[in-house]
Amino acid sequence: MFDKLYYQDKGLFLQSFHPAAVLAYLFVLLLLSLLYDNPIYLLSLLLLLAMLIRGVDGFEAWEGFLKAGVFLMLVVMVVNPLVIRAGATIIWHGPVLPFLGRLDISMEAMYFGAVAGLRLLVIMSVFCLYNLMVNPDNVLNLFSRAAGKSVLMVALAARMFPAMVRDLKRIKEVMQLRGVDFEEGGLWERVKKYSGLYNVMLLSSLEDSMEIAESMQARAYGSGRRSVYSRDLLRPRDYLNMGASLLALSAAAWGLHNGCGRYTFYPVADTLIRDSSTPAALVVVLFYLFVPLILSEGWKYCRYIKSKI
Amino acid sequence: MPLYKVENLTYYYPEAEKAALNNISMEIEDGEFVLVAGGSGSGKSSLARALAGLIPDFYGGRIGGKVYFQGRDIRAMDRGKLAREIGMVFQDPEKQIVQTHVEAEIAFGLENLGLDNEEMLRRVAEVVCFMDLEKIRGAFTANLSGGQKQKLALASVLAMQPRALVLDEPTSQLDPVAAEDILNLVKRLNEEMGFTVIMIEQRLERCLHLADRVLIMEKGGIAYDGNAREVARSAIKSGMPFVPPVARFFAGLEVPSVPLTVKDGRKMLRSFISNKNHGEEKQDVLRHGGGLSTHAPEQKSAVRLKNLWFTYPGGQEVLKDVNIDIKEGEFVAILGENGAGKSTMLRQLTGLLRPDRGTVEVLGKDVGRNGYKEIRRHTAYLSQNPNDYLFQDTVEDELLFTLKNFGFKDKSAVDEMLERFHLARYRRVNPRDLSSGERQRVALASVLVMSPGLIILDEPTRGVDFRLKAELGRFLQQETAKGRTVIVVTHDVEFAAEYAARVVMMFSGRVVSDGGKHEVLGKSVFYSPQLGKMCRGICDGVLTFSEARDRIYPLVTVGTAAGEDPGVMM
Repeated sequence: MFDKLYYQDKGLFLQSFHPAAVLAYLFVLLLLSLLYDNPIYLLSLLLLLAMLIRGVDGFEAWEGFLKAGVFLMLVVMVVNPLVIRAGATIIWHGPVLPFLGRLDISMEAMYFGAVAGLRLLVIMSVFCLYNLMVNPDNVLNLFSRAAGKSVLMVALAARMFPAMVRDLKRIKEVMQLRGVDFEEGGLWERVKKYSGLYNVMLLSSLEDSMEIAESMQARAYGSGRRSVYSRDLLRPRDYLNMGASLLALSAAAWGLHNGCGRYTFYPVADTLIRDSSTPAALVVVLFYLFVPLILSEGWKYCRYIKSKI
Repeated sequence: MPLYKVENLTYYYPEAEKAALNNISMEIEDGEFVLVAGGSGSGKSSLARALAGLIPDFYGGRIGGKVYFQGRDIRAMDRGKLAREIGMVFQDPEKQIVQTHVEAEIAFGLENLGLDNEEMLRRVAEVVCFMDLEKIRGAFTANLSGGQKQKLALASVLAMQPRALVLDEPTSQLDPVAAEDILNLVKRLNEEMGFTVIMIEQRLERCLHLADRVLIMEKGGIAYDGNAREVARSAIKSGMPFVPPVARFFAGLEVPSVPLTVKDGRKMLRSFISNKNHGEEKQDVLRHGGGLSTHAPEQKSAVRLKNLWFTYPGGQEVLKDVNIDIKEGEFVAILGENGAGKSTMLRQLTGLLRPDRGTVEVLGKDVGRNGYKEIRRHTAYLSQNPNDYLFQDTVEDELLFTLKNFGFKDKSAVDEMLERFHLARYRRVNPRDLSSGERQRVALASVLVMSPGLIILDEPTRGVDFRLKAELGRFLQQETAKGRTVIVVTHDVEFAAEYAARVVMMFSGRVVSDGGKHEVLGKSVFYSPQLGKMCRGICDGVLTFSEARDRIYPLVTVGTAAGEDPGVMM
């Protein structure tokens, strides 16, 4: 069931970028989602993310993220007006509550809650896209040169985790058939029963770790300086993507410096489009952020672009 | 100059009083295929590790004597150089894969050697093509089957382009099809690529014929060293069990050259048995009811599966209309390929899974409805891994743990079990300090201590040597004689043929054959023991060595046959 949430190589164009290019792009998206306050900007980012997720055939996985995101959005929308008193447009005068004081619900506080929820949705979508777009093994590989041992340890843990879950299940069944009832008894008794289960697991894991270490030594691990096997090619598409990410970030920084993308909620909510620079700055940033999608479409329909990227 | 030269090699593991290797001297030529056999604890794996340079470098301990590789003392070689020259593949594929993805795993050793990326890419590509791993090149290693994992472990070693390959029971954890795949690869590596192969193996019926030379080890030393035929004959004469059935059968006859394969065995057998005798023997076997099921229909049912269907939550339909009725006192072997539904069926009849449809009755209780608690007091279940049972401080505590859980006050069964499984001297020893065979005995004792009516074993012969296998088989037969029911899920056709009375074959979630062992295994071409394959069409109904000896030896006119066709073997 959870398989859909993890990376699956579907041979799609958007999955063919170098992990460094993907990381740079997603970093920019994440940063902008944190810096922008204007709901139109955040909505545009969400729309872009929806198109990218569609491009990696990930709507099914996104559905799960959306459900959790919408739920959290509603929670923020409900909680924020209850605790924030900064809004000027009071839509409901509530009773006086201990510690909280008078419960006045303002439209601005609700509005802020909704936008905060939207921001959360964008951030969750960025992580969803990361899961669908880039092979985590390739990302790890990217850091091998800088932190080889740590990366190997993470890879080993990731590789062993499914086997440990399987082992745990099997050992639990063995103990159940040996008369251990994990559902019976008080908390302390249950803790004791589970400690036996984890004891078996730990002892076996310690023995296994010796065998793994032996196999690593037999393949010259620790014999000298390691090199890094890299399967990823840096292609024109990666340079274009990284360049576009950098330009998007620069344009966004310029925009933010000039107030584009900023938005004030209190005491009275700002207008969405202050002047022509607001949509202009958004269009420029979006153009650069659309580069992967433009390349993807070009790959499909334009021979020239395909031959160049 | 030989590739390996071993001089008076003696080795003690840290804190061990007994030598694991005892004054071994030998030579191995470049390109040779050396098969190493022997019982558990005979020193096979220690020898393999010494030849791979892991002893004493990895393990520590005391060592005497020398191992030379291409004339150089192996201890003086640096680890990188050693790994470039000697590759080692271990028993359990699960415990030698470190990376998350196949390609990264193949490159692991190359990264350790510090090769540049271009060289690594070339070598990975070569190995992927040679080993036919293209389809799983990007796969997550944890999701691979056991056979694929072992193939990957071999690929990872081969990418380092060693001159010698040391394989420590590479097929012991695999099903027959995957094992055959690995052995075929090893054979190709030796014959086509010229790799020197040193392989440790328990199931010699699979590989004796591949070896140029066989070493049989005993008590840390080399008991026999020679070509496969010589060793087979010598081992039989001295009563050693490490000889596959066909060779064992002919070694008992005075033939000039012992056949090692089914093909050669059939040729020789045909030349021995005259047409007249052949016809008579065939009839005789059939008259003796070789194809009949052995259980008495009037006996009470111990296990009854009726119209059993089961689908895992993921949607995979694993059991499809399974109907089996196992009587009390029966010894049933369940055979079938991986994914046939054998283990799922075991989990159904232990009550760990509930059926979607149909009923599961065990010892008169409806397990399908009420779950494992209904019958666990009367059922002993031994999983594939004996280590799953071992976590107490002493062997005795392991047995007491089970008794305590079920509220048994009488502890006399502990002494009886320890005696019966030859574990009395290990009573106060930590079970994790014992050998694999001893661990299996402790695990078995810990579930049999409550005198269950039903004994269920999942792959009990995996990684177990001939002697222990025979002990286990005889023990289970004794239990059935006492009226207990034994169900064994196994890939080991030889074990099923030798000890079980009834065989159930499963395929794709269905029971495709069920009956007496002669009826099921005698009919099968592929799921048949070596002697069954050899005798098929010549004297049908023979499955085991004792049957072959009793029925065929009296018919054989050795002198004439041997003189007639001395050169039939490879």
